[in-house]
Amino acid sequence: MSKQVQDAYIVAAARTPIGKAPKGMFRHLRPDDLLVHALRAALAQVPSLDPKAIEDAIVGCAIPEAEQGLNVARIGALLAGLPETVGGVTVNRFCASGLTALAMAADRIRVGEADVMIAAGTESMSMVPMMGNRPSLNPRVLLDENIGIAYGMGLTAEKVAQQWKVSREAQDAFALESHRRALAAQQAGEFADEIAPIEIVTKFPDLATRELAVSTRTVALDEGPRAETSLEALAKLRPAFAAAKDPGGKATGLGTVTAGNSSQTSDGAGALIVASEAAVKRFGLTPLARFVSFSVRGVPPQIMGIGPKEAIPAALARAGIAQDALDWIELNEAFAAQALAVIGDLGLDAAKVNPMGGAIALGHPLGATGAIRAATVVHALRRHQLKYGMVTMCVGTGMGAAGVFERV
Amino acid sequence: MNNFIVRKVAVLGAGVMGAQMAAHLVNARVDAVLFDLPAKDGPKSGIAIKAIEGLKKMNPAALGHPALADFIRPANYDDDLELLRDCDLVIEAIAERIDWKLDLYRKVAPFVAPHAIVATNTSGLSIASLAAGVDDALKARFCGVHFFNPPRYMPLVELIAAPETDPDVLGRLEAFLTSALGKSCVYAKDTPNFIANRIGIWGILATVREAERFGLSFDVVDDLTGAKLGRAKSGTFRTVDIVGIDTVGHVIRTMQENLRDDPFHPLYETPAVFAALIGKGALGQKTGAGFYRKEGKAILRFDPEKGDYVPAGAKADETVARILKKKTWAERLQLLRESKNPQARFVWALMRDNFQYAAIKLAEIADNARDVDLAMRFGFGSSEGPFEIWQQAGWTQVAEWIRDDIEQGTALFTAPLPDWVFEGPVAERGGVHQPQGSWSAARGVFAPRAGQPVHRRQLFGPSVAGENAPDPASAGTTVFEDDSIRLWTLDDRGVHDVLIASIRTKVHAIGPGVIAGLLKGVELAERDYKGLVVWSPDDPFSVGADLQAMLPVFMSGGAKAIEAEEQKLQQAMLRLRYAQVPTVAAVSGMALGGGCELAIHCARRVAALESYIGLVEVGVGLIPGAGGLTYGARRAAEEQAAAPDAALLDFLKKYVMAAGAAQVSRSALEAQAAGWLLPSDPIVFHRNELLYVAVREAKAMSDAGYRPPRKAAFRAAGRDAMATIAAQLINMRDGGFISAHDFHLGKTIAEVMCGGDIEPGSMVDEEWIMALERKAFVSLLTHPKTQERIMGMMQTGKPVRN
Repeated sequence: MSKQVQDAYIVAAARTPIGKAPKGMFRHLRPDDLLVHALRAALAQVPSLDPKAIEDAIVGCAIPEAEQGLNVARIGALLAGLPETVGGVTVNRFCASGLTALAMAADRIRVGEADVMIAAGTESMSMVPMMGNRPSLNPRVLLDENIGIAYGMGLTAEKVAQQWKVSREAQDAFALESHRRALAAQQAGEFADEIAPIEIVTKFPDLATRELAVSTRTVALDEGPRAETSLEALAKLRPAFAAAKDPGGKATGLGTVTAGNSSQTSDGAGALIVASEAAVKRFGLTPLARFVSFSVRGVPPQIMGIGPKEAIPAALARAGIAQDALDWIELNEAFAAQALAVIGDLGLDAAKVNPMGGAIALGHPLGATGAIRAATVVHALRRHQLKYGMVTMCVGTGMGAAGVFERV
Repeated sequence: MNNFIVRKVAVLGAGVMGAQMAAHLVNARVDAVLFDLPAKDGPKSGIAIKAIEGLKKMNPAALGHPALADFIRPANYDDDLELLRDCDLVIEAIAERIDWKLDLYRKVAPFVAPHAIVATNTSGLSIASLAAGVDDALKARFCGVHFFNPPRYMPLVELIAAPETDPDVLGRLEAFLTSALGKSCVYAKDTPNFIANRIGIWGILATVREAERFGLSFDVVDDLTGAKLGRAKSGTFRTVDIVGIDTVGHVIRTMQENLRDDPFHPLYETPAVFAALIGKGALGQKTGAGFYRKEGKAILRFDPEKGDYVPAGAKADETVARILKKKTWAERLQLLRESKNPQARFVWALMRDNFQYAAIKLAEIADNARDVDLAMRFGFGSSEGPFEIWQQAGWTQVAEWIRDDIEQGTALFTAPLPDWVFEGPVAERGGVHQPQGSWSAARGVFAPRAGQPVHRRQLFGPSVAGENAPDPASAGTTVFEDDSIRLWTLDDRGVHDVLIASIRTKVHAIGPGVIAGLLKGVELAERDYKGLVVWSPDDPFSVGADLQAMLPVFMSGGAKAIEAEEQKLQQAMLRLRYAQVPTVAAVSGMALGGGCELAIHCARRVAALESYIGLVEVGVGLIPGAGGLTYGARRAAEEQAAAPDAALLDFLKKYVMAAGAAQVSRSALEAQAAGWLLPSDPIVFHRNELLYVAVREAKAMSDAGYRPPRKAAFRAAGRDAMATIAAQLINMRDGGFISAHDFHLGKTIAEVMCGGDIEPGSMVDEEWIMALERKAFVSLLTHPKTQERIMGMMQTGKPVRN
């Protein structure tokens, strides 16, 4: 058990639905506005909390530039109507940004320098492309020993699939199951606790009528799950990141990763409020879960997808619990290939991994995912009266991150 | 009103032809509205929407650029007839049913603008009977326009007047179709299937029958009736497979049903093999089987006796192939006729049948023989029409041979040749095509070439053998010539002040001779002319550097010697770019590698729509070495300078990728998007107008006070951009999409275009990048993988994927 001054409790957790990028429902909704929505929704869960007690807002974002640049954390906090006294800092650990934000927020409390913190994440992949608007790499990336830095995420998934012998069929079956679970959870209303329905208003010039075409709709569910997906449909997709045969016609041993068995590109935001025991008492809050531990581990960038394999045992060791004590695991499905490799190597119980579907079906708004999945796990533990939960993911350039949650 | 302005065109019927016509209209920046019936479910204009979607996937592409599909407005007859009011031209292209067409005309008539022309694209129905059913107010503006499939690529459009059509209407349409759409118009009489299909389908029917008589299989017939006869290389039966056996069958039926009084009528019967194949659902390419079927890599042919497919690939006998290679038609026809070889006698029989038919039908279907020959060339891809061949072979001799065959009963049909063949002006002058005109059998005169104003834009328009039209290879006044180039002027057309450089090498490959000639051209142009136009009478513009010519230099002097040659090439390109008078490249067809580099270094390009431009050097393991990469680096810097908030790499990327992947534009419009053509470079739709426009462009530039561009330094993207591009290439290599050598070439291209290992944003100039080009080029020459690619290309003509 880790030593700390005081425990950190999650007292509110909310998120936006996840939209598909770049052509989905949020393609015109700014990531700072998505963040504002998540922040307000989390605050609404704790009406007795005096916002002035909030010390700082830590917001994860994987590509913090343009619409989500200029310290989106501070801008989001101000636009959400938080008092000016509340700080704001944007953190980036790519796909673990949101989870890292939560760990850092918890740490502020655990060392005793804050009583109430906000942890969040936001990302619009519709507006800010995966590599950023102006990618520029260090020439030393081209040296053989650094080449993994240059690897696109899809290629790393291919390398994992090759090295861990994850077949195309297994990846497609995993993808289909992700959609099945997501749809079932949607139908059962399981997302109602975490998702704050959002109103999307668009205004376009109608050049035919010379009038402003205003449309308004409210969405309460993630856009990604596809009821019409089937193994046959998935099997038809062409590999997106590697060819099965090289230009000379030789088999490459690659070519199993497709758009269908990879996570979707997405837009979304999530926010959690973390509080010390003193603050819980002072404001009469109901803790959802205790943030128990967090670990991050580096792995070779070429096989970044395997990161959770290292991070999960590390976080469990810090928490002082065994792997089978985990009741609910949110393992980010960056790619079916890496998820299956991690599940297989660690012997995770597949039934406990992503019971409501994962990023292949629900989407993966990079820096927001950690905060979003943390919201999923704390509400799920509560709904199902379970004890330990985990959020874990692989991270570009070769990392794994994992956080442990305990329902209280 | 002298101008016929076409702002918008409605195409009625979103079938294969209608949709492709709409595509070609928007290619030409004419707005198109594509109508079809209201869809039963989904969006009301669903049929047109689907057709427009389909256009984006067509190969060969109907659209000059996929994004142009957005400019075709989908419509349906229920909701959108109001849109017709803005259309200056309405083309009907629905199914060949006279009742359906007349219904549609009645429906649209109230919405057609009072000035608009209404034309039917029927391929064979009587224009007069269609005209009889149209609204009286429309009659004068109604006519036939018969496009050929695929309409973007097939030059022919037959224009057919109805009895009440205002002759001006056809003239205006011709001007629009020619200049705006790049089509070649032939006036046809209103007879079933008009000219090209009438003669062409007869040719197919005769081929089927003669092949049976001589016992030849489809593959042998195709080999005999393709390129060896100067016709489309798909021959007869493969052409039918491509067009569709049912489609050809339909056209045959039109003749059968509408030509009952024609003495040839018994021969218009649908051949049994057509019926058999249609019955099996084997309609040709679209169903995967027809006269031929592909099985894996093997090609099978239908054997009518077995009723099944057997291996194909039989070729013409060597003796016959040799006869067909003889210099003149006189020799060829005589030898074919005298040969005992059944294949040779088959070819003679076929030619005879075609001559006989064309001569007998001339008066009925066309004004004159020229229209028949041109229709066959533009509509069927033949290099010469039937009358041209006959005349060149010796008019009277061939006529007598035909008469003998008819009299001896060896001809397919016993109808005698018309009297004008043997007596009168044609026989006296030795043929139908004469300098003063082509024989009009109906009017009994030699009809002069129609002189529509639009034809004046074609300085060397289409001409038929015997007409003695000026040959662009020797026309005008020669200022200098050698084996590689001719420098000349259009003195005889009153253009004294623009020098024209025509490349004379095979496929206009660029070797030392061409370079020397171009430099001489620039020198002369600066001394005595307003500008220099690089134009050649035939395509391609140029396929690039002459590898064969470079080989001896490499063998004797090694890589160092090549470097010196390379530098000369680069200097020549800069000379064109910085000449004191405007240099204009008239591009048509392929402009690849060095050909592309030549075009992009001219002060301006005038490009035919069918321009296929790109830097393809990586195919032989090299990189562009005559300024192609320098151009991309400079253009990217210029584009970025106009948008300083964007990254230089954003502009550079497209040039790096284009050279790295050897991308070739599939139209001038794509070339413009790729950056090979500038927005200020005119695109000319009719190839024959290219020289007219280029010469005028050069003069106009000069008259406007032309000054060459400044030799200015520009920003280079530097090492970080190079790394960023190379990182993408690493993903492609390690993902198995490209080979290690492809990667090496791509990275080298990136290095050169980024200016090398320099600080991002450093200022460079053309000479700097060109030095990098040379160094990289020479080092690649000694690379074994590159040498493998070069040898492979020279031996097989196909790129080696190593």
